[in-house]
Amino acid sequence: MKCTINKWSVYALGDHAIVFALAPSVDTTTVNAISQLNQFIKSKNIVGIVDTIPSYHTLTLIYDPNKFLFPISNFSTQLISFCTNVISAFDEQPTQLLQNETNIINVPVCYDSAFALDIEKISEQKNISVQEIINIHTADIYEVYSIGFLPGFTYMGIVHESIQIPRHEKPRMHVTAGSVGIAGLQTGIYPTNSPGGWQIIGRTPWKVFDPNPNKLAKFKVGDRIQFYPISKIDFDKMNENN
Amino acid sequence: MSIKIIKKGLADSLQDKGRYGYQHLGIQPNGCMDFMSAWLANSILQNEIDQPVFELHFPTSHLKFEDDYTICISGANFVPVINEKSIAMNCAISVSKNDVLSMLQPIEGKTAYLAIKGFIQEEPWLGSHAYSGVRLEKEDQIHFTSNNTFNELPNPISNEVIESIQKQVFDHKSHIRFIPGPAWNELNQESITHLIKTPFYISSQANRMGFTLSGPTLNLNVPNHFLSSAVTRGTMQLLPNGEIIVLMADHQTIGGYANLGQIILVDLPRFAQMKTNMPFHFALTNLDYANQLYREIHEQFKH
Repeated sequence: MKCTINKWSVYALGDHAIVFALAPSVDTTTVNAISQLNQFIKSKNIVGIVDTIPSYHTLTLIYDPNKFLFPISNFSTQLISFCTNVISAFDEQPTQLLQNETNIINVPVCYDSAFALDIEKISEQKNISVQEIINIHTADIYEVYSIGFLPGFTYMGIVHESIQIPRHEKPRMHVTAGSVGIAGLQTGIYPTNSPGGWQIIGRTPWKVFDPNPNKLAKFKVGDRIQFYPISKIDFDKMNENN
Repeated sequence: MSIKIIKKGLADSLQDKGRYGYQHLGIQPNGCMDFMSAWLANSILQNEIDQPVFELHFPTSHLKFEDDYTICISGANFVPVINEKSIAMNCAISVSKNDVLSMLQPIEGKTAYLAIKGFIQEEPWLGSHAYSGVRLEKEDQIHFTSNNTFNELPNPISNEVIESIQKQVFDHKSHIRFIPGPAWNELNQESITHLIKTPFYISSQANRMGFTLSGPTLNLNVPNHFLSSAVTRGTMQLLPNGEIIVLMADHQTIGGYANLGQIILVDLPRFAQMKTNMPFHFALTNLDYANQLYREIHEQFKH
């Protein structure tokens, strides 16, 4: 099942998921439209939809095939009419009602060499001082485009061209929770200790993922984030990962 | 009032239907690999079909019952024994305090399910008891309410239903059906022919996260980069080296590899039970048929 509804391309992902997709692009307009459609669908509490997963230019709905829709004739016809109704209702919504919170979340990062395992090498390779890398990394507002890989791992962008660098060819076996990395045009925070291939340039004292059901992930897709530098002393005072 | 692990198994865990509602935060759903056998075991005990069960891989844990229970074992046949005396599968069995369940030999399939009549007494995490990185270790105790008010339950599921589920899960000659995914049209013609006509095998790189397949190398018309988007249980990802990995219960929530298609839900239990190096064929199907099959099978468990 595949169809086009206004600017959306809609297709079935197997027999228990459906995807609403815009043209593939990493930009503000796209991620805003995706997270607004996500909020809109969530607010409808549709029976049988068990998960909604925004990521870059797509929003995927996971459904329980036994509970979602009641096929009288064939399921795909019902699914197409469901999607058409969702999109037309969404398009009729006054956009300001759906506007994302534009608050910027300010996230502390310590760029001390004890944590910034790769910053010296990037500095040499790019011929930019370490201080300049920090200035560039903290100057821009990043948007969260996707969450995955690990619970709470954020894919944010867009990292300024002057410090863009590919991920390590061979991932590190151990990256410490809170580590802030860059890879291509993206930047992100490792929520837990794990293997990882991104270039590590600092560490946040924040616990960005907490299994406590009242806390869980600190960020969601569509959030706007800006980093600010802190000293090693402040990091130790603020550290939530111990 | 518990079941105690007295010897650790290879990779045993507690599972249920899985943890949904948190994938937007990157939290994997987990859940039973062969959910149909778990439904069967629970149904035979007149439990809700999605109640937590023990998922057991060979060599399995040895479990000691610290109270009287009624149990049922479904799924893979590993020759289950209580105190070394063999017991039947797919029927309610009464066990007594201090009885020990172990399994002797992998005859058929890869995962067996142990259901317990009654209710689990453990705290779920985010609404589910499914494995989330913790495997059953020696000395672990899982608490269930004991249910010793009857000796033998009349089997509420007809033999016909048991047989049809067994066939659905263990008839390895049946094709593994899938619905084409977003990158299907980017496969070159030779690869499409291979995918439908050539046998594939599950390689030794197979665990609860995914099964890597051996078989012909597949290629896209043009090597392509994809922005990561959601994947599901059953997603067939094409890796850059031309191999397919099929995502299973512990899959990540998003993926950036070419998405060739998704195996339909009713064929996933059979796929999960397939052993390494057993040849199988893929076959194309469509959403309407897959949806109808799922509903029909689910309907059989209503009582």
